[in-house]
Amino acid sequence: MENRAALEDAVKLLDDWTGATDRVEGGPGMSGFEISAPRPQGAPPGSPFHKWVSPDGATWTEFYRTETGHLLRFPNLADFEVFAASGAVICRPAPDVEQATLDHLYRNQVLPLVLSRTEKLVFHASAVETPAGAIAFVAQSGRGKSTLAASFATRGYGFLTDDGLVLERQGEDYRVMPSHPSIRLWEDSRSALLRPGAEPAPPLHFTSKARFMAGPGLTFRDAALPLRKAYFLGGGGASGISIRPLGAAETLIEWTRHSFLLDIGDRQLIASHFDRIAALANDLPCYRLDYPRRYEDLPRLLEAITAHAAAPEAAE
Amino acid sequence: MTIGDKFTPPQNVIAREVGDEAVLLDLTSGMYFGLDPVGAQMWRLIAGGCTLGEVCDKMIEEYDVAREDIERDLLALVRDLTEKKLLLRS
Repeated sequence: MENRAALEDAVKLLDDWTGATDRVEGGPGMSGFEISAPRPQGAPPGSPFHKWVSPDGATWTEFYRTETGHLLRFPNLADFEVFAASGAVICRPAPDVEQATLDHLYRNQVLPLVLSRTEKLVFHASAVETPAGAIAFVAQSGRGKSTLAASFATRGYGFLTDDGLVLERQGEDYRVMPSHPSIRLWEDSRSALLRPGAEPAPPLHFTSKARFMAGPGLTFRDAALPLRKAYFLGGGGASGISIRPLGAAETLIEWTRHSFLLDIGDRQLIASHFDRIAALANDLPCYRLDYPRRYEDLPRLLEAITAHAAAPEAAE
Repeated sequence: MTIGDKFTPPQNVIAREVGDEAVLLDLTSGMYFGLDPVGAQMWRLIAGGCTLGEVCDKMIEEYDVAREDIERDLLALVRDLTEKKLLLRS
């Protein structure tokens, strides 16, 4: 993660996991989360093997390996110790950091990374329910996946997640696990999509995006649904709505690029993750979706996506 | 590089087939490399221990193309993969 958009992505993930903790913590290899007493961040255990850096050059997250697993350091905010054997996480907050910030860091950044050690697949993607089933919009932050999810949700199609898409394989299907019932939007998207008075959630001091809770004007689908198709969002350079099938290899590479992984140096983890993604790429129809980013075009775009999602593969 | 050479993938490179294509992943660098159906078939034969000449022979049996075309494409692919350290000369 090397830019502001990616940073927002990471911050946003935290929201998506609020409320999903019971399901997640009950899963294989997951045994809980606790917050210890605040204390100044001490010397790290050696050099980080990986960093996430914000656009201004500041370090957002440092990744360390420890004798018991991993340490994720968010400078001046908190350390999260992840225990490899149990999957348990202990948060050691820096002084004067609010509980909401700690929860967000855990749910949006730490938990998706921890989940990458399990059989679950976690991606930077939103997901909504359409008449044809659940579909996902996969992209780094800033490409419009939250805007698309909110657009569907304001028209009565429930969103399952705003980001941090968790897929769980069940037989032939990959089920989308519902996450936190809120969507994070920039001000321009909010004013274009949401009714005045949409319920805001508590703000975080380290992000300028606002978070809105599901409600009568913003439908949430609180049930796991099979994923039917996935759309990888282009950069907005298309002159009109463009949807084209992705080749198999391209699909595998795209899913891999948009994955969460706790330890990018753990060959065994990466190899098994790659295997699971290869199976996903073989099984799920995936497309490149691009369109001009104009709010006035959204109704037509949603119609096109909904029709495409409902079309059988052979007819596309 | 000659047509009699053999190449093998290093231990840190894994390949997965998706449809009739394939993706190579370098576990050390995290780099991915996609192969189209022809490239994927060449990779299978190379990784299976064939010399480049044997790869050409088998590809000609399977595809209706001139040997010089296959040989040119194969050498270009192997050159590219060795430069990216996704293949090593045996």
